Amino acid sequence: MAVLAEVAVEEGAVVVAADHMVMPKDCFGLGWRPQLALGILSNLDRIDLVEVIADDFFTAPRSDRRALKTLAAQVPVTLHGVSLGLASSVKVDRDRLDRTARLYEEIKPLSWSEHLAFVRGGGIEIGHLAAPPRCDETIEGTLKNLALAHTIVGVAPQVENVATLIDPPLSRYDEASWVVEIIRNSQSNLLLDLHNLHANALNFGFDPIDFISRMPAGRVRGIHLAGGRWVGKGNVRRVLDDHLHDVPDPVYALLEEIGARTEPGLTVILERDGHFPSIDSLLDQLDHARQALAQGRARRTIASRGEEAA
Amino acid sequence: MSTSLLEAFLARIYVDAQAREKFLSDPTAEALRAGLSHDEIEAVKQIDQVGLELFTVSLKRKRQRQYSKHR
Repeated sequence: MAVLAEVAVEEGAVVVAADHMVMPKDCFGLGWRPQLALGILSNLDRIDLVEVIADDFFTAPRSDRRALKTLAAQVPVTLHGVSLGLASSVKVDRDRLDRTARLYEEIKPLSWSEHLAFVRGGGIEIGHLAAPPRCDETIEGTLKNLALAHTIVGVAPQVENVATLIDPPLSRYDEASWVVEIIRNSQSNLLLDLHNLHANALNFGFDPIDFISRMPAGRVRGIHLAGGRWVGKGNVRRVLDDHLHDVPDPVYALLEEIGARTEPGLTVILERDGHFPSIDSLLDQLDHARQALAQGRARRTIASRGEEAA
Repeated sequence: MSTSLLEAFLARIYVDAQAREKFLSDPTAEALRAGLSHDEIEAVKQIDQVGLELFTVSLKRKRQRQYSKHR
């Protein structure tokens, strides 16, 4: 933990090997929630980093921000935004961006991230992340917003794919193509939420492995894990990404695929927003994630050895 | 195209039950009233109604809980 904190870099982390070669290391952590604080702080030997919701601190009292700085001194922190609405043809809200920049400067996190979503329109706050129409205009708007976010904060945000219950109208791209266009034409790396991917794949009938194979592997730098549940009745059912349930097995299988296709140096965060189980249960899920990623890494190693032998 | 108008239109029917009801009863009229383009009108006429219903139910619950927004 101490080594990790000392050599933490902007995205992911590295450890210094005995021969002084810098080796990237996968890091595993939890979303910081007040209900989990004691459990997290009591188990820092099993948690490499925590992800903090940036928006919770935009208007927080000075004491809360001091507490966050204290937390960041104990464990590497990433900042995660939920209300910028970067994936929009409308210009990102400058005030929120300025607040993000101030918090980033104050906390000096490993990285920061936001969603590929719009959250307001015509002066109406949706109150949740909404998938925008996947068309050229939202790609263009998103790229402009990402460039502005990069300029204001000083570091490009990682961008996260979102879960959606509704297939956004006027979508001329499938989700994978739309995400790839944004990643390839921006400085932003991908924070791939595997439960969001799992949910969308079930809801709209596509292959999540195909989605992963289409992402530029070197640009996947972060992973989110979570759980959800089926909503609706009869044939009218879809998976809701509610962060209230344990990580399901298919999501671990997707994480193994990520391990087989990417280089080490990922940050993997388990998100839980309610119906909190014991900290041991969350740590077990984190261990399960470590195993899944390691299995994927092992597959990659075996495959590359096979290629060398051939 | 005027996707910002479409985003505003979607935001309204996502959060405002009356606006959504009016839209579902006469999509073309409501889309025209919102100033959407021909392509956008055609797109919202074919909106994913199952998804719209499930999303708005989920959204309503979330807003009632003062939405934690931790996604």
